[in-house]
Amino acid sequence: MERGSRMIAIVCLDDRDGMGFNGRRQSRDVRLREKVLEIAAGRRLWMAPCSADQFGPEGEGRICVSASFLEEAGSGDCVFVEDRALAPFAERLEQLVVFRWNRVYPGDRYLDLDLAKGPWRKTEEQDFPGKSHERITMEVYTR
Amino acid sequence: MKRRMISIALALAALLILAAGCAAPGREEPLVTLEDLPAYSGAAYVAINGNEPYFTPAEITDEAFETYSALDALGRCGVTCASVGPELMPTEERGDIGSVKPTGWHTVKYDCVDGKYLYNRCHLIGYQLTGENANEQNLITGTRYLNMEGMLPFENMVADYVEETGNHVMYRVTPIYEGDDLVARGVLMEGYSVEDEGDGILYCVFAYNVQPGVEIDYATGESWLAGEDAAADGEGATYVLNTSSMKFHDPACPSVEDIKDSNRETFAGSREDLIARGYSPCGRCKP
Repeated sequence: MERGSRMIAIVCLDDRDGMGFNGRRQSRDVRLREKVLEIAAGRRLWMAPCSADQFGPEGEGRICVSASFLEEAGSGDCVFVEDRALAPFAERLEQLVVFRWNRVYPGDRYLDLDLAKGPWRKTEEQDFPGKSHERITMEVYTR
Repeated sequence: MKRRMISIALALAALLILAAGCAAPGREEPLVTLEDLPAYSGAAYVAINGNEPYFTPAEITDEAFETYSALDALGRCGVTCASVGPELMPTEERGDIGSVKPTGWHTVKYDCVDGKYLYNRCHLIGYQLTGENANEQNLITGTRYLNMEGMLPFENMVADYVEETGNHVMYRVTPIYEGDDLVARGVLMEGYSVEDEGDGILYCVFAYNVQPGVEIDYATGESWLAGEDAAADGEGATYVLNTSSMKFHDPACPSVEDIKDSNRETFAGSREDLIARGYSPCGRCKP
């Protein structure tokens, strides 16, 4: 690992900035996973084993799986985060990609970064249709 | 994510829990009692039983089905249960459900309620899951808060999971009443994704049938603004409105029976407020 290096984090949020409930992701969508792989093209894409399960064949050979992926990811890498806090790694983030489901789900885990404050500036926003979601919004926040 | 099997031990433990008339289909014993549930403290729902549903292995199936309990002697809904799969999900827009008047139903508005109307006809199993419209065995009198904050998030989660994966989700909703109350205190909601053994969907929560800012008499469905007496003189009293003639009536006024359902609303608040809104008192009951 290159300590002090910057990485790109990718998260999925509901309308209340929720990420998960009862140890599970709130939702999933194959079109979103395709976007994640697009974003990570040419970079290493890290995630937890429980996140990698949903990718299937399309992620084979393209995903680095580790229980401690946030600690292991290096400079320029992407991290797909569903199940853990990001705040302890905030200083290492150069960019944050937020996928919004545009739905309300149960939540007990929420994004622990305040995107309305601090160094974050929204630099891109686009909508796209999902398979099971009418409209997913991708927002890119940059330091 | 976490993979957890529903254990027989948990199911047996659940059977030992006494309840207030909410037995699951095929069971003698209900699942939970109001005494087991924490009082509302600001969250629309709270995890019960460690968020583990009470389904027994014998109840879990990947064959789609839906069951609704017969209304009880008071006309109240009971347990609803389904194995929700793509086969059951609706392919048409939702139809009109206004013909159903669940027990405790009142058409009443408050400014502090999103959309004004205190009560919604709450689907126990959401329309987006099984496509049930005006099924009186699937609709209860629920607050806007219960509908939108308590139940909808779980319906969304299950519907999107089923649509995305094609898998089935065991889905049970149990309205929980106190005694002979006509309005449920809330609903026990259970979910378990079948093919991946709870890996995708697993929850057991109680969603509260409350509305912040409004007090409810669950025995009748009557309501009033929090902080006001239920039947204070002119303050927080209940009136029946004829939205066509713009008259307001005492609920006991004989003329109330003649008001068309489409023109009738219940109003909780002050007489002065009604007059300010353009209503005038009925000359018969002189409210």
